[in-house]
Amino acid sequence: MVRWVKRLAAVGNGILIFALFYHGHTRVAIIGGLLNLAWAVDEWFPSDIRRFLRPWALVINTAFLAYGALNGRPSMLALFLAGNSLLAWNAGLFVERWSDAPLTIQYQYLRRVGTLTVLGLLAGVSAVTSQGNFALFFLPVLFLMLVAGFLWLRLISRTLKEDPG
Amino acid sequence: MNMTRAWSLVTSLCLILLLAGLLLKNGILLAVVLPYLLFSLIPFWRRTEEPHLIIERRLEPQYLWGGQPCRMTLSIQNVGNDLEEISLADVLPAGLRVEGDLTYHGMLQAGQTEKLLSTGRGVRGKYEFSGVKVSTNDLLGMYRHEKFVPSVGTLAVLPAMERLERLKISPRRTRVYAGVIRSRESGAGVEFFGTRAYVPGDPLRHLNWKAGARWDLLITNLFEQERVADIGIILDARSVVEVTADGESLFEHSVRAAASLAEHFLREGNRVGLLIYGTMIEWTFPGYGKQQRVRILAALAKAELGEHAVFKELEHLPTRLFPSESQIVLVSPLLRGDVPMLRYLHALGYRALVISPDPIAFEKRSLPQDECAALAEGIARMERNATLSKLRRASVNVVEWDVTTPLRIPMKQAMVGVKRWSVG
Repeated sequence: MVRWVKRLAAVGNGILIFALFYHGHTRVAIIGGLLNLAWAVDEWFPSDIRRFLRPWALVINTAFLAYGALNGRPSMLALFLAGNSLLAWNAGLFVERWSDAPLTIQYQYLRRVGTLTVLGLLAGVSAVTSQGNFALFFLPVLFLMLVAGFLWLRLISRTLKEDPG
Repeated sequence: MNMTRAWSLVTSLCLILLLAGLLLKNGILLAVVLPYLLFSLIPFWRRTEEPHLIIERRLEPQYLWGGQPCRMTLSIQNVGNDLEEISLADVLPAGLRVEGDLTYHGMLQAGQTEKLLSTGRGVRGKYEFSGVKVSTNDLLGMYRHEKFVPSVGTLAVLPAMERLERLKISPRRTRVYAGVIRSRESGAGVEFFGTRAYVPGDPLRHLNWKAGARWDLLITNLFEQERVADIGIILDARSVVEVTADGESLFEHSVRAAASLAEHFLREGNRVGLLIYGTMIEWTFPGYGKQQRVRILAALAKAELGEHAVFKELEHLPTRLFPSESQIVLVSPLLRGDVPMLRYLHALGYRALVISPDPIAFEKRSLPQDECAALAEGIARMERNATLSKLRRASVNVVEWDVTTPLRIPMKQAMVGVKRWSVG
């Protein structure tokens, strides 16, 4: 069941990317759509390619949505692409790790990942709809940037230290 | 608790989007961060408890012969809370070939017990099981808890043995119990020992009528008592004497010979001890019977070649471990420098028997058949013969053994025409 959720989510990503870039960036739309269609059927690929494709598909989808957001594309589509990509990526991760999970566990997983995705999307939608009411000042922005940069560097250094390969 | 690579990826994307949104002052990017942020915060929201497991290992049998399978059962019981996803991997000792379930992946509810069944086979050696690697993670795969649960067990693959025929050994001192080794004392026995004048009470059927007619006296025959003896087997495990050919080790044949001798002497009721002389001194205290057989075979199962400056020569052999005037059996390919120590043993009153696997014949099989090899073999053979001659002149009994033949054959040949191996 989770496998089908992942497939549907990946196909949904393709459709969202296509919709996001169809006007003006047709090539990007086609490439993004094909990539996600390949992701939807990645069980047919050798495991090395599958393992390589899964994280990179998430990264590329994130790059697409960031590009779309910066180019003034519909923000809701970008937001749904983010949620859908995370869902497809995590479902793929689960299937790879535990392909023969019992149905109760699959339900439990879907409930958990579904709650998280819906919560994220709702928070994002709320933020998008209310963004006009925010007035971001320089100092809070600088503070947030420094905190984010520090956390990211710490994360990278810890990851490299724990798993150099 | 450790974050997984998946968590690192999603958190990295979250922070990159956050930085880009702040740098470019783009509200959409900041809004898009939120789903990523929720996935990143999962490990801080739901924390898993440390798994509490009871893991028991059963090996049946614990001692086995080479090629014989061992049934291994690993029983895992969860005595803590429900575990959504758990992975278990048995940490196997090197060299053991195992078929069956070695890993478990799935859920483990409170009180649930899982069993992993497998079959192990191995070559001679002692295999120590240390424990099981346990890894629990959340269903989203964002964090992981790793733990090593000890679950010890020892499996010994015993050395191969061959059945030897009766060996005539004659230590200077025997023990008081009846056995099959001649004790140099008259008494109840079957081998003729001598004659003396008849005294009342001697059994009439032992009268030597021919000697009586000759001396005009009543003469009675004496028989040699047969008793058990103390036998110390020394296995030479020095790296310097090791020879390998075609991936085969001469040491393995030495181990086989030591096991066969121990089995033989114990079967005859003797008290047998074992000393493995290599990296260190491994001493199996002398004893009788089946339990001693198991002790010696277990010691031989874990015997390994060793290199130590102190034990490079035989001169540091701890002779005091062996009862005085007992029989010592050395299993060694022998070096030229070993002769003085064996002479010294003889001088101390021990009876020494050397079983020497032939390293030259063993190595020759893997060498090309050319003039150089023949010349080298000739020189090595001369040197070895000289060493063995020195030993024989020092009243040390030597059995030279080409390991391609069963040990009983050179043992039998060495006894032909020899009433007793040791002389006076």
